[in-house]
Amino acid sequence: MITVHATAALAQREFTRFVRQPQRVIGSIGQPILFWLFLGTGFTGSFRPPGMEGISYIEFFYPGVLLMLLLFASIFSSITVIEDRDQGFLQSVLVAPISRLVIVFGKILGGALIALTQAMLFLLLAPFIGLVLSPAGTALELILLLLTALGFTALGFLCAWSMKSTAGFHAIMMVILMPLWLLSGALFPIQHVPPLLRLVMETNPVTHALVILRLPFYHAAEQLLSDKDFLVSLFIVVIWVMASIWLSVLRIEKREKGISY
Amino acid sequence: MIKIRRLTHVYPGARRQTPRPALLHFNLHVEEGEFCVLSGPNGSGKSTLFHVLCGMLLPSAGSVTIGGYDLFRVPRMVRRITGVVFQSPAVDKYLSVGENMALYAALYGRSSKAVGLAEALEWTDLKNRLHQRVNTLSGGLARQLELAKCLLTRPKVLLLDEPTSGLDPASRRNFLEMLKSIQRKRAMTVLMTTHIFAEAEEAHRVVIMKDGQLLACDTPSHLRSSMGREMVVVVPSNPEALALALKQDMDLNPLRFGDELRLENVGTTESLSLLETILSRYRSQIHSVAIKQAALEDVFIHLTGHSAGIHPPHSDSGPLESGFLGKGNEESGRPVETEQ
Repeated sequence: MITVHATAALAQREFTRFVRQPQRVIGSIGQPILFWLFLGTGFTGSFRPPGMEGISYIEFFYPGVLLMLLLFASIFSSITVIEDRDQGFLQSVLVAPISRLVIVFGKILGGALIALTQAMLFLLLAPFIGLVLSPAGTALELILLLLTALGFTALGFLCAWSMKSTAGFHAIMMVILMPLWLLSGALFPIQHVPPLLRLVMETNPVTHALVILRLPFYHAAEQLLSDKDFLVSLFIVVIWVMASIWLSVLRIEKREKGISY
Repeated sequence: MIKIRRLTHVYPGARRQTPRPALLHFNLHVEEGEFCVLSGPNGSGKSTLFHVLCGMLLPSAGSVTIGGYDLFRVPRMVRRITGVVFQSPAVDKYLSVGENMALYAALYGRSSKAVGLAEALEWTDLKNRLHQRVNTLSGGLARQLELAKCLLTRPKVLLLDEPTSGLDPASRRNFLEMLKSIQRKRAMTVLMTTHIFAEAEEAHRVVIMKDGQLLACDTPSHLRSSMGREMVVVVPSNPEALALALKQDMDLNPLRFGDELRLENVGTTESLSLLETILSRYRSQIHSVAIKQAALEDVFIHLTGHSAGIHPPHSDSGPLESGFLGKGNEESGRPVETEQ
């Protein structure tokens, strides 16, 4: 009971803090939308990959922006781990009689719910580019968005926990989190890249997150649940999420220990 | 209630630095319902001890039991009965007073309704500020919130790390009065670190530590009386020369603290005649001279040789006698180290 109560309280706190910082709301929603509009509009005229002639770049890029939105939301959420430590709040959480899993999950769930809310707002734009989801497809897409958001937030938490400053985290973000997105197939199709890069992209779990987020726009939910490619990608994403959460718990469990004297 | 046995903590040295011991075979036993104040100069190991007691640091050796629970084996049981007030604010400034209280209650598996938010804030000035954001509160009110949220779960043990730092004197007094009143009412065990000796005057026991070891542990009155009832404090133009003169001419062993020379453990009747003799002999070398009642701060200075701008004593002071071991060192069986 204490676990559920504490997890919900920590997650709710994340959400409350988010809505009380308007610049954070504007930044995390505005940036992906601007990327989508500028890059999408700019590349639409020249984007003609073989086999995808019927898809405009703005449409191709849409699931990638959804993914980017989740990534940015998780980055902003993860930065609060460093802020919580600097501002002292983390101390009171660490001395509470709750397991470390609750702390990790409360924080991650809160961040993921923020990301999901932003993604839901962005989903409202989908019909304007001809991407329409059925009710079942919408439900599936939301579940997949939440799952991916959990993965990103857990990964961000893991990186942020060891960081001494937000500046240090920004550096990590640029060399770890952003490349994961860049090499996910969000910007360009995976089918037409050199073999070595393709191998890297296929081993990137975020590539599989993009696959499962893209497919519901083009296939019925029922059909996807028996689709081998979809299920393989889903399995990889689930493993990625669980591993990130597990590593985060291990990291937070580790306490500084004195050496023998 | 709190039993610390032979606690040792050694920080691993950073690159090319040797390991740094912060606590060495530290023993302390705080009774149930006791208000114990822990003091010591910077770097004496207070913060390390506090972080170990909070369960945030694993020591190199030793054991700690709180409320009968082993801190290192069942930390969650200890956390259930312990409240912690940190030196730096540990509340969320984006949340309101009420939201912070509710969040804290939830971390202890309780709803704010069940624990009684109004009752928890009754003794504070926050009663009518439930919806006010924390970042709009004054420093004093923010500290009240820190304490109120810790008391929300009715802890048996309260650990406070310099809780009044950054407060003005009035807010500090107000905070301590509240703390003492609640401690008495609830018979709570309190262990508080502080640099301010006025805060220790009403404690049941005062612990003074230095270099990770316990120097003294006794009631404030015993500590003061161990110094003698009065002391003569002389500020000469040349402390070294006057100290030598006092030794040679009058067979006195003054302690030197910075520019001051102190003649401690002087009886009430002797202090005046001693002052007159010193003045008559060395008036030209003396800027000022005074008779002073020994205060806890003087005990601290005597033992640690630390105060603002004061250096360790040069002459041999000898260990203070009465009750200086207190309960703290009963188990160690080692002599108390005093500044020699």
